Amino acid sequence: MTETTETFTYDYPAIEAIVTRHEAKGRAGLLPCLQEIQAFTGWLTPDICQLVGRRLDVPLADIYGVIDFYTLLYREPVGKTIIRVCDDMACYLNGSEEVLSSFKKWLGIGPGETTPDGKYTLEVHPCLGYCDLAPMAMMGDDVHGHLTPDKVADLLEVK
Amino acid sequence: MVPRTNILGKRVGKIDPGSLPAYVASGGFLALRKALTLQPEEIVHEIMAAHLIGRGGAAFSAGFKWAAVRRETARPKYVVCNADESEPGTFKDRYLLEGDPFRIVEAMAISAYAVGANRGFLYVRGEYPLAYKRLAHAVAESRRAGYLGLNLWNTEFCFDIEIYRGAGAYVCGEETALFESIEGRRGQPRLKPPFPTTNGLFGQPTLINNVETLANVPDIVLNGGQWYRTLGPLTNPGPKLYAVSGHVRKPGVYEATMDLTLQELIYELAGGIPGGRRVQAVLVGGAAGTFLRPDQLDVALGFDTLRTIGATLGSGAVMVLDDSVDLWNVLRRVTRFFQHESCGKCFPCQLGTQRQAEIVTRLAAGNVHPGDGAALTDIGLTMRDASICGLGQMASSALLSAFSQFSLLPREDEL
Amino acid sequence: MTEEVRCTIDGRMVSVPAGTTILEAARQVGRDIPTLCHHEALTASGMCRICSVEIEGARTLVPACATVVREDTVIHTRSERVDRSRKVILEMLASASDVSEAPDILAYAETYNADLSRFADGEKRTYDIVDDNPFYIRDYNKCILCGRCVQACGTDMQFTFALTTAGRGFHSHITTFFDQPLPESVCVFCGNCVGVCPTNALQPKQEWLLEQGANWDEIRAQTKKPRRH
Repeated sequence: MTETTETFTYDYPAIEAIVTRHEAKGRAGLLPCLQEIQAFTGWLTPDICQLVGRRLDVPLADIYGVIDFYTLLYREPVGKTIIRVCDDMACYLNGSEEVLSSFKKWLGIGPGETTPDGKYTLEVHPCLGYCDLAPMAMMGDDVHGHLTPDKVADLLEVK
Repeated sequence: MVPRTNILGKRVGKIDPGSLPAYVASGGFLALRKALTLQPEEIVHEIMAAHLIGRGGAAFSAGFKWAAVRRETARPKYVVCNADESEPGTFKDRYLLEGDPFRIVEAMAISAYAVGANRGFLYVRGEYPLAYKRLAHAVAESRRAGYLGLNLWNTEFCFDIEIYRGAGAYVCGEETALFESIEGRRGQPRLKPPFPTTNGLFGQPTLINNVETLANVPDIVLNGGQWYRTLGPLTNPGPKLYAVSGHVRKPGVYEATMDLTLQELIYELAGGIPGGRRVQAVLVGGAAGTFLRPDQLDVALGFDTLRTIGATLGSGAVMVLDDSVDLWNVLRRVTRFFQHESCGKCFPCQLGTQRQAEIVTRLAAGNVHPGDGAALTDIGLTMRDASICGLGQMASSALLSAFSQFSLLPREDEL
Repeated sequence: MTEEVRCTIDGRMVSVPAGTTILEAARQVGRDIPTLCHHEALTASGMCRICSVEIEGARTLVPACATVVREDTVIHTRSERVDRSRKVILEMLASASDVSEAPDILAYAETYNADLSRFADGEKRTYDIVDDNPFYIRDYNKCILCGRCVQACGTDMQFTFALTTAGRGFHSHITTFFDQPLPESVCVFCGNCVGVCPTNALQPKQEWLLEQGANWDEIRAQTKKPRRH
């Protein structure tokens, strides 16, 4: 196995319980199962995938193909909170470029990167569907609209 | 007179979206109750009579779909609500899901009864956590109170809903890609035919409708198809939600009948353009849509009226660009969007979205090569003609419309 | 008796048994349609779209390999739209992958006047050659993502499921579970994937070593089967 040397800090029985809940659905339980586990662990490790594959009867290669297809599933460690900044048309028209720069400045990282303390991962995300709040970003599940560089600083508590 | 309506959004912002009693007190579940006293065929007939056109973007007749699934003899059948709204500029389904989630539960139950299904699947966009929370609550509450489950109102009809969350893929709004996703696969569209009405989710006959389409159903059941056809133009009846964004004073969702003009939507409903600016262009239908010029604002925002000027209503997204905008920066984002969201299955889209974005990015930086116009046209037409699904078929729509509406490309002989 | 359906292909009336694809029907009357992802032994995936044909009245082109002939349709295996699509797909393919060992693509390029250097400025998909087992090498620079290997490894032949498509869009690629080396995967080295690869992206290792100029002793040393314990 590649990269199974990661040390896991998560609660294995809790993951087992999630898998058990979705087991009866077989492959149709794959997406919700992976999503629930990831909400717990942050990302999907090879050994989690092996457990899920064995219990839901899904080939391992297929699980990898699925994870790699969906942008909200992660196969590498990410920060505790993922910041998704929208830079599509409606947000661009309302100043998303400035918002994105201030996220970059305050976090000291670029899109796709994670802060050294593991707190944040920054992403430029395709249109998130909150164009009435443009420019906007999501921090985890929280939506923040009408952003300005000042508001970004407040959100990150850097002032 | 601006033809505003208050049908789809009548509860949004008025009642607590988490309260089942508030939903029932405002007339909720009356339509389902009435539906269960009718023959399933009668309901399909009313949807047909209403001339309800699908609100997801493809503008297909809802009644035809319902009738087709009703006719299928294979069992089980499924109903699916497509709440994977991801077209850039579109947020009208989120408005309904967050503001009136019980309505979608009720409409799905009605559709299931009409076509003979007992299981429903609701696939909600992964980036809509609040909508998901409210839907999950609405389904659980409805189940607890007996509006979902076995033998509703002591009839033979049994129905329940499972909610799936998307995981970040625009293409899953395509119905067959959505099925693949629920089935635990990469969200890639299937070849059609066969169509979902015969071979849909898990290979079974499936009725799949967009959120807004379903939201129309309870009122059609309560008031009849004939009533519905009196709302707005005869060919495009019923209320429509428009999601307005970009350079307007009051971006948001507005409900009106489809004789509403773009002018009225921008200036009377959305408050006009801020900062004393003027309209440069309007992108109607999102990234998969078409650009309109300022002299075309008197067009009515209906499926057929837009078609006559070579545009599409799509999902009803209206994005306004003022005269300060460099269109190339917008086009760069449109093409980057498709480059990011192509699923990679069919070659025209897998390769075309990449090459299209590369060339547009270069052009946006002012670096023009001879043959760029021909290359983008060739790529665009190839994607339109030969891609498997609507994503690829529409991936060049906004770009090519921008070229035909505005003189963006330098003439070859000037290079 | 199977039911017969009639259609017109390039002006000729054709009658074929119900369920016949446009590709099969066209070949019966001597009209050849180019194919890339299509393989007799595999389920038609209709992915490459090089076999696209025009049906009168249809909004888009349809893949001949995966479309069944319907009664009274008028089919054109060549038209302006068909030829443009084929030409542009070939041009874009050549700009993304190394098609030098894909004879079909090179031949089609001649037929459709494809300029294989047209999009040469575009990003190429480049990979290191994977040499992780004694049987075959994987040179994904030559991969056109026809998907045949994944089909052969999965439900169309072997039911081994060692391979998958990962990523998406232009950056889709064929790989294993977390990119693990084949000997650590469930691969049983049946060779079916190598057999169906149309571009030499998957190549027997002996053949590849010979092309690299290795002598027989080197080849024997490098392709020795691992001893089972």
